[in-house]
Amino acid sequence: MERRNFLKTTGSVCAMVSIAMVTGSLTSCSQLPIYKTAILENKVAVPLNLFQQTSLQIIKPAGYDYNIALQKENDGTFTALLLRCTHSDNQLSSTGNGFVCNLHGSRFDKEGIVLKGPAERPLKRLRTSLSSDNVTIYLS
Amino acid sequence: MKRNIWILIYILFCPISATIAQQSGTNEEQLQKDTSSYLSNTTIGGYGDIVYQRNFNEKFSTINLERFVLFTGHKFTRKISFFSELEVEDAKVSGGEAGGEIALEQCYLKFNINPNNYIVGGLFLPRMGILNETHLPNTFNGNERTQVETYILPSTWRELGIGYYGNSNRIPLSYSIALVNGLNSASFEHGSVIREGRFEGRNASANNLAVTGSVQFYSGNLRTQIAGYYGGSVGLSPSEADSLKLTSGMFGTPVAIGEADLQYEAKGFAVRILGSVISIPDASDINRAYASNTPKTAYGAYAEIAYNILESMNSAKGKQMILFVRYEKLDMNASIPANGIIDGTLNQQHIITGITYLPIKNVAIKMDVRFLHTGKQNPSLSNPLAPAYKENNTFLNLGLGFSF
Repeated sequence: MERRNFLKTTGSVCAMVSIAMVTGSLTSCSQLPIYKTAILENKVAVPLNLFQQTSLQIIKPAGYDYNIALQKENDGTFTALLLRCTHSDNQLSSTGNGFVCNLHGSRFDKEGIVLKGPAERPLKRLRTSLSSDNVTIYLS
Repeated sequence: MKRNIWILIYILFCPISATIAQQSGTNEEQLQKDTSSYLSNTTIGGYGDIVYQRNFNEKFSTINLERFVLFTGHKFTRKISFFSELEVEDAKVSGGEAGGEIALEQCYLKFNINPNNYIVGGLFLPRMGILNETHLPNTFNGNERTQVETYILPSTWRELGIGYYGNSNRIPLSYSIALVNGLNSASFEHGSVIREGRFEGRNASANNLAVTGSVQFYSGNLRTQIAGYYGGSVGLSPSEADSLKLTSGMFGTPVAIGEADLQYEAKGFAVRILGSVISIPDASDINRAYASNTPKTAYGAYAEIAYNILESMNSAKGKQMILFVRYEKLDMNASIPANGIIDGTLNQQHIITGITYLPIKNVAIKMDVRFLHTGKQNPSLSNPLAPAYKENNTFLNLGLGFSF
C-alpha cells in the first residue's frame, strides 16, 4: 500500500512538474515571427518593415519544401538560412535561438553553425539582395 | 581441345570488348551523369561504437563492436522520400551461433505535407524519451545507453505503422502522433518488463495496435517533452486468446507508458532529466498464461549533469572534454500482481560518472564507471548452486563512438 501511495504521489508530482514546465515555457516564450509569401521566378521578396521589431523572420514560401530563417545582422546586411538539415535533408524546427533536427538530433545555432552532430556542414546560405523596400531571397 | 576453348572465348568476348571500347566514352559519360543526378538525391550516413567493459564482481572483461548502423535515404520527389537504418550488432552473425544481429532499425517512406508537417509510413522510432529517436554515440554521455531508456523505455524501439509529425508555425512546439502495431505479451520476460515483447517489424500481429504521441517544446536552450503510449499486448485470434483467458483485440490486455523529460544546454553545461512509468493492469492474466512474472507497474528516472571543461578555451577549436555524472533509479517490479514474485534485484540504482572526449563533433572517446546497487535477491528465485548474489557491483567502460 505504501508503495502504491508512493507511486501515485510520484506520478502526480511528475505530471504536475511536466505540465508546469510546458505551460511555464509556453507563457514565457515569445512567438516566432512567421512571414508567408509566394515564390516569383524562384525568388521571394520580404518587406523590410518586418524587421522593425525583430531581427529574425521565419519565411515560409508557398509550396516550398523548407522554411527559411532570415536574419538581419548588426551591419544591416541579411543572412538567409535554408532550414534543411545538412545531414539527411530533414526539415528543421526552430528552438527560439537556433534550429534542431529531430531525425538524428543535429543542432545548429542562429548563424547555421553546427552545435551538435551528426551534421558536419553548416546550413546552406541563400543569396540575398536588398532594395529600398524589400530583401529578396534567391532560392537557387 | 584447349585450343578450341580459347577460340570459343575469343569469338564470344572479342566483339563485346570491341563494342565496349567503341561505346565506352559516351556510356561512361552518360552513366556518370545519371549516377551523379541519382546520388544527389541519395544520402548515406551511419554510426557505430566499440566498448570494452570490465565487470568487477565477475572479474571478467569483454570488448565488443556493439553496433554499426548504415543510414540510406533517397528523395524520390520533393514530397516523397525514403529513409532506412540497417544495423549489425556485435560485428558478426553466424548461423547456429548465439549473439549478433542484423536488423532494420528504421525503414519508412516520408510524405512531406509542407515544411512543418509530414507523415511517415513503415518501420520507425516513435518519439518516446530522449534516446529512442536520437541515440548516436557522440550525442550522449557514457558508453552504455541509460538503463532507464533500456529497460523501462525499451530503446531502440521501432514498430510498424504510420505517424504524423508537425511543428507549430508560431511557437517552437513540435508534436507527433502515431498508430503502430502493439506488443507481444507472450514474449515479456522477467527482468526486462516489456522489452522482449517488441516486434521490431518482424511478423508483427496487427490484431492489437498502439497509439503513441508526444509534445515537445523548445524555449531557447531548454527542451521539454511529454510522451505517452497505450496499446494492446495480445494479438492472438479470439479463440486462442479465450483458451488462455486473455483479452485480445485492438487494445486488449493493455500496456500504458507515460514519459516526461527535459534537456538544458548552455555555456558548456548540460542537464538531462527523465522519468517514465509503465502500467500493465492485467499483468496477472499475462502471468497466468505465460508465467513471465510480468509486473503491474515499473518505473525509472534519471538525472544527469555534464560540463565541457574546454568550453571557455579558445584554443580548443571545437574539441570537447565533457565530465558528467548521472544517477538512475529504476524498479522493474514496482508493483506486482498476486501471482507474481517480487525480485529485489530489479529494484536498482546506478551512479555513472566519466569523461566524454570529442576531438571533433562526430567522434567520441569515452570512459566511465558505473556503480550498481540493487535490492536483495528473493531466495525463491536464487539458484542454490550459484554463487551468492552481490547487491553491489562496479563496471568500467571504455569506448569509441562515431557518426557521420
